[in-house]
Amino acid sequence: MGGTARRRLEAAILAVIVVGVAIVPLTHSRLLLYNFTITPIYAMVVISLNIVLGTAGQVSFAQTTFMAIGGYGSALLTTRLGFNPWLALAASAVLALATAEIIGRPLLRLRGHYLAMATFALALGTNSFVTAATPLTNGSIGISGVPALAIGGLSFDDPVNFYALCWIMCALAMAVYALLVRSHIGRAWRALATGQDIAATLGIDVTHYKVLAFAIGAVIASLAGSLYVEYTSFVGPDLYDIGIVLNILLMLFIGGRGSHVGPVIGAALLTLAPQLLAGLERYQNLVFFIFLLLLILIWPAGLFGRVRDSGPLETMLPAWMRRRRREAGP
Amino acid sequence: MTELALVGVTKRFGGLVAVSEASLAVSVGRIHGLIGPNGAGKSTTIGLISGFLRPDAGRIMFGAHDLARLAPFQIARLGISRTFQQAPPLAGLSVFENVLVGMHTRYRAGLGAVLLPTSSVRHESAAIEGAARELLATFGLEAQAQADARNLTFGQLRFLEVARAIAMRPCILLLDEPAAGLNDVERARLAALIRGFRDDGVGMLLVDHDVPFVFALCDRMTVMNFGSIIASGDPDAVHRDPAVREAYLGADPAGAAR
Repeated sequence: MGGTARRRLEAAILAVIVVGVAIVPLTHSRLLLYNFTITPIYAMVVISLNIVLGTAGQVSFAQTTFMAIGGYGSALLTTRLGFNPWLALAASAVLALATAEIIGRPLLRLRGHYLAMATFALALGTNSFVTAATPLTNGSIGISGVPALAIGGLSFDDPVNFYALCWIMCALAMAVYALLVRSHIGRAWRALATGQDIAATLGIDVTHYKVLAFAIGAVIASLAGSLYVEYTSFVGPDLYDIGIVLNILLMLFIGGRGSHVGPVIGAALLTLAPQLLAGLERYQNLVFFIFLLLLILIWPAGLFGRVRDSGPLETMLPAWMRRRRREAGP
Repeated sequence: MTELALVGVTKRFGGLVAVSEASLAVSVGRIHGLIGPNGAGKSTTIGLISGFLRPDAGRIMFGAHDLARLAPFQIARLGISRTFQQAPPLAGLSVFENVLVGMHTRYRAGLGAVLLPTSSVRHESAAIEGAARELLATFGLEAQAQADARNLTFGQLRFLEVARAIAMRPCILLLDEPAAGLNDVERARLAALIRGFRDDGVGMLLVDHDVPFVFALCDRMTVMNFGSIIASGDPDAVHRDPAVREAYLGADPAGAAR
C-alpha cells in the first residue's frame, strides 16, 4: 500500500466516521450515544499520544497525567473557586502546557527505555497523588457536582449537544494533527524519531521539538480530561488508573501510529470492545487478546499505520514460506 | 574570510589519545583534504568540529564562535554541516522529505503560522519544496523522490546524504568518507559535485581513505597518523613528504588506495 492508497483509505474511513457520527443520535440509543461520546474524548488523548509517540517517536506514558490536570483542574476550579466551566477548561489546559514545558525539558533528554520508565513513574505518581492528596482532591471519593458547559442558552448538559461538542473538539484535534504533521514541524518530529543525530546536524534543536510535541500533546490531553469530567460531572483517581494508560497505548497501536483516522478507530474499537464481546461472557478477554496478538503479528503498524517492511508473523515463518523480498542494496 | 580553525585540539578516550594537539584550518571556497590510515583520528576530528565530541584541550573556532561550547544543532546553524560515514537515511521519510529536512532552517513559519496557514506560509513551503526538487535533480535522484529512503541503493544513499547536508546551505561541509563504496562512475559524479560546491563558495573538509580521490580534489591537504598531524600544506608537497610515505608503509601515497 503506497502513500496515495493509504491517503485514499484514510479519506474513505473519515467519510465513514462522519456518517456514523451523524447517524448515532438518530438511533435514540442511550448506550450508543454514551459510547460514542466517550470515543472522541479518548480519541483526543490518542491523538495527543500520536503526536508524541506516533510522530516524534518519544515513548511516553504521561498522557493520563495531563488528562488528570484537565480533569481535576476543571473540577476544582469550578466547584471550589466558582470558575465558569469554559474558563476552568482553558485554565487547566494552560496549566498542562506549563507543566509539560517544565517537566519536559529534563525528561525528554532521556532516550528510549529511560524515557518510557520515567513517564511510567509519572503516570503511577499521578494516580497515587490524586488518591493521597485528600484535602485537595477528596482522595478516592473524588469530586462530584462539576457544573456543565453552556454557551448562552445552549446547555451541554443535554447528551446530544455534549456529543456534538466532543466530536467538534475531536475534529479540531485531528485538524491540528494534520496541519502539524505535513509541515516542517511534523517533518522535524519524524526526522528526530528515526535519526536524532542527523536531525541535529541539520540545525534542528532536537530537545526543543521534543518538548513542543510533548506540550501540544499535553494541551490536547488536558482538554480531553476536562471534557470527560464535564460529561460525568465527576472526577476521581480511577479515571487516571494505570490501566487507562495501557488502554490509550493499545488504542494508538490498534488504530495505527502516524495515521490521521487511526486514533478515532482505535478509541472506538476499545470503547466498544466490552459490548461487542459481551456475548462471549468469560471468554471475552481471551478473544480480545487473540485479536490483539493477531493484529500485532499481521499489522505491526496498526490498522492504518505507516507500513513497515514485513510483519513479525512473516519473520516467524520458515524461509520457504516467506514472500520473496525485493533485493535491497548495491 | 570566515575560517574554521582547530588550534591544538586534543581528544582522549580513556588512555587512548585519539587526536593529539591537532591544528588545521578550513577556509570557505577551498577543499581541505584529510587523510591517514585507519584509526588516525580523522573521524574523531569531524566529531569534534560538529560538536558530538568535546575536546579535552585546545580550541575549535569558527569566526568568533568557540564551537567546543556549542551543541551540534547550534554548530549546524552557524553553517557547518556534516555527513556520516555510514550514510544513514532518515528511515520512513521519502527521499524528497529527507532533503526537505535538510532545508529545515530555511523555514520562518512558526507554530501559529502552521496552524493557521496564510498564503505567505504556503508560498514559503512551495518555494522551499521547489528548491528541494532542483537539488534532487542536481544529484540525479529525481526519479526516486517519492521512494522511502530505505529503498535506495548504497550509492544513491551516499548522494542523498550529501544532498541533505548541502541542502542547509552550509559555509563549511565536513565530508566523512563520502566516496566509500561508490563505483567509478559515481565517484566521478561525486567529485564533480564537490568541485561545484567549492565554486559556490563552500569550504570542505574531505576525509577519505581513497587517497587519489582526495588528492585530485583538494587545495590543501593534512595527513594524520596515530592522532597526530604529520604533514600539512600544498598537496604536492605533502605527497613528497617522507613522513607521509612512511605512514603509508613506504608506498607511494597516491598508489596506496585500498
